[in-house]
Amino acid sequence: MFKKILLATTGSPASFGAARVAFDMAKRYGSEVTIFHVLGVPTKAFSQVVNDVRTGEEVEVDAEYISWVEEELKTTYAKQFAGAENAKIVITTGAPHREILREARNQDSDLIVMGASSGDNVKYHRGYPGSTLQKVAKAARCPVLTVHRESASYWGGFSSILFGTDFSKQAASAFKFALNTARELDCVLTIFHALDISGKVLDQTQIEENLIVARKRIRETYVPLMGDFKNFDIEVWEGAPYVEIVKLAREKQVDLIVMAHHTRELDAEKAKIGSTVEQVIVRANCPVVSVSKPDKV
Amino acid sequence: MPEGILCNKTPIKTDEQLKLTLSDSRGTKYYAEMLELEVDSDALWALVQKTLKSRTKTWLEICAHCGLCAESCFLYQVNGRTPKQVPSYKIQSTLGQIVKKKGKVTNEFMRHCMDVAWSQCTCCNRCGMYCPHGIDMGVMFSYLRGLLYSQGFVPWELKIGSGMHRVYRAQMDVTTEDWVETCEWMAEETEEEWPGLEIPVDKQDADIMYTCNAREPKHYPEDVAEAAILFHVAGENWTVPSEGWEQTSLSMFAGDWECCKDNVQNVYDAIERLNPKRAIGTECGHAHRATVIEGPYWTGRPDGLPPRPYIHYVEWLAEALRTGKLKIDPAKRIKEPVTLQDSCNYVRNQGLKDITREIISYIVEPGFFVEMSPNKEHNYCCGGGGGFNGIGMYREQRNVALRKKMDQILDTGCKLVIAPCHNCWDAIRDLEEEYEIGIRWSFLKPLVIGMLDVPEHMLPKDEE
Repeated sequence: MFKKILLATTGSPASFGAARVAFDMAKRYGSEVTIFHVLGVPTKAFSQVVNDVRTGEEVEVDAEYISWVEEELKTTYAKQFAGAENAKIVITTGAPHREILREARNQDSDLIVMGASSGDNVKYHRGYPGSTLQKVAKAARCPVLTVHRESASYWGGFSSILFGTDFSKQAASAFKFALNTARELDCVLTIFHALDISGKVLDQTQIEENLIVARKRIRETYVPLMGDFKNFDIEVWEGAPYVEIVKLAREKQVDLIVMAHHTRELDAEKAKIGSTVEQVIVRANCPVVSVSKPDKV
Repeated sequence: MPEGILCNKTPIKTDEQLKLTLSDSRGTKYYAEMLELEVDSDALWALVQKTLKSRTKTWLEICAHCGLCAESCFLYQVNGRTPKQVPSYKIQSTLGQIVKKKGKVTNEFMRHCMDVAWSQCTCCNRCGMYCPHGIDMGVMFSYLRGLLYSQGFVPWELKIGSGMHRVYRAQMDVTTEDWVETCEWMAEETEEEWPGLEIPVDKQDADIMYTCNAREPKHYPEDVAEAAILFHVAGENWTVPSEGWEQTSLSMFAGDWECCKDNVQNVYDAIERLNPKRAIGTECGHAHRATVIEGPYWTGRPDGLPPRPYIHYVEWLAEALRTGKLKIDPAKRIKEPVTLQDSCNYVRNQGLKDITREIISYIVEPGFFVEMSPNKEHNYCCGGGGGFNGIGMYREQRNVALRKKMDQILDTGCKLVIAPCHNCWDAIRDLEEEYEIGIRWSFLKPLVIGMLDVPEHMLPKDEE
């Protein structure tokens, strides 16, 4: 399930939560972790100069510089490295989202772990719309686990999983991942659908009818797929989906949220508000896994 | 003949030498060695005698020093109109001297020539349009670069760039496997949104063979995916070659003639092997110049043409829009002031000035397109052509050179610049970084994809 974890990191404090979760999983589940860092974005045509992603300075990438960055990362994660059997560092240059996807493909990673935001580092964008996370989540073949808030990384291991569904094709893959994880790690699984009534004034009878329909749909869609797995419950209620998911996760002390990711919109301006899953990522108190492909679930 | 380990008269031919040169940060050791590099006057003179043909001889002879080329040169304009930047002076005081002195020139003089050839001329050929005799200093500078390269006086990045072309047959270390793998990867990543999309490699007898710029697979494979999307939507029968896919030529910028020929031959071999009806290159200016305009002469093709009709991306795009293979949704057209960068290498050099305006007429709401002034074949270089963009040692000079394009863009009042050329795109990106004038810039591919009116059957099946 989590044999190969790719931890994509800027090495900045914003990514510490993601690192903590990745290393915790490695120790708990015996995964290999690759700490993957894109140290600079190519610049100036065919020159050997890159913009260092942390300082924004132009640097000439040579063996010496790379080993210096590697030392930095080792120092940063010294504590984590101490107990991790299977950790290595890979450093490269390029457009971050592209290199993360390339490495995940090369290694056939089972899970990409990353922070949700490196802040407004313009060097990461350079004329290409969309955030690194959006672009990785859209194209990755494997699930992408994000940890946005520090508080989201204080759990140890996974025992309660919340799967939020919108009944899309991608949600079917997300469900498989949630179910397999729940089986493998012996977790309780909550299957949840939020009836989106944000910005609408609906008749209460209609709302309640829709809730019944959705509950029935969850039973028909997901229960037959669970075989002998009985450790689940179903919740359906109305609201703004991202708010309801975050609330339910808090209430149930969920330590992993699993959702489908199928935003096609990468235009930074249009995608600013983000999809439900992006909203959940920035608000949740636990790691969030977004799944968009059926390959690695 | 004292020569350096890194800076010498031998082109980089092995991966080992390439890595060794690369490991010399910023070319520090390389340039230090250059100070000691001995000029082989006999070899230089022999090369001049062998290669200085009647046209260049005549041009050197008949220049009347009238100075009409001065104002044509953007580098003259942005550098305080110093006489040192007048094209005729620049070439007469470098190539002219080498010829006059029959190759008996000093190391210091050769280094001076290198500075002039790579930081005071982008080979944009604008001067040639204004000379009463039609003398083209840009062409002569390309020739001078070849002489300098043969003696090892070439900027570090271009020695490497040319070495990349020799070792990898691409300007970056992208192997055949890397390239094919990238095509597979991009097809896989794109087919979800575009069901049925493929990137066929080495398909025989296709209508189109597509070639690109190694930076695309190396750093921005999205560009390859975008090309695939547009060919797919247009219903084209196309392919890419596994070998001979790289169209660019840093060797042309470097003056490495032997390598120029080899690289173009490699592309032509791919054309002969796959037998497409025609070849199409990506949105790149110098790559087009190298493979389509200069290439046939480098490789000694008797008809002066590539093995099959070889067109620039803008020609294909205009045709696809004209014939309705690609349909634009009028509601999605650009509705903000937008300007267009004319790339010297296919506009001034090949006259593709109207075709890009035709594209504009399809994708921009009438009334929003603003021409730069001057434009078309009179347009100024972006400021980063001829290799200028990539040379660290001349960064400051390049940044000054960007000012002309900056002023032109500011005069249009546009915040969006369409730049269907890698070098122009880069220069305009750097211009924004350097001067922060608040502009955006784009190739044509992503813009057009965003505006397509896609036939229903091509869209992914509706999901809830």
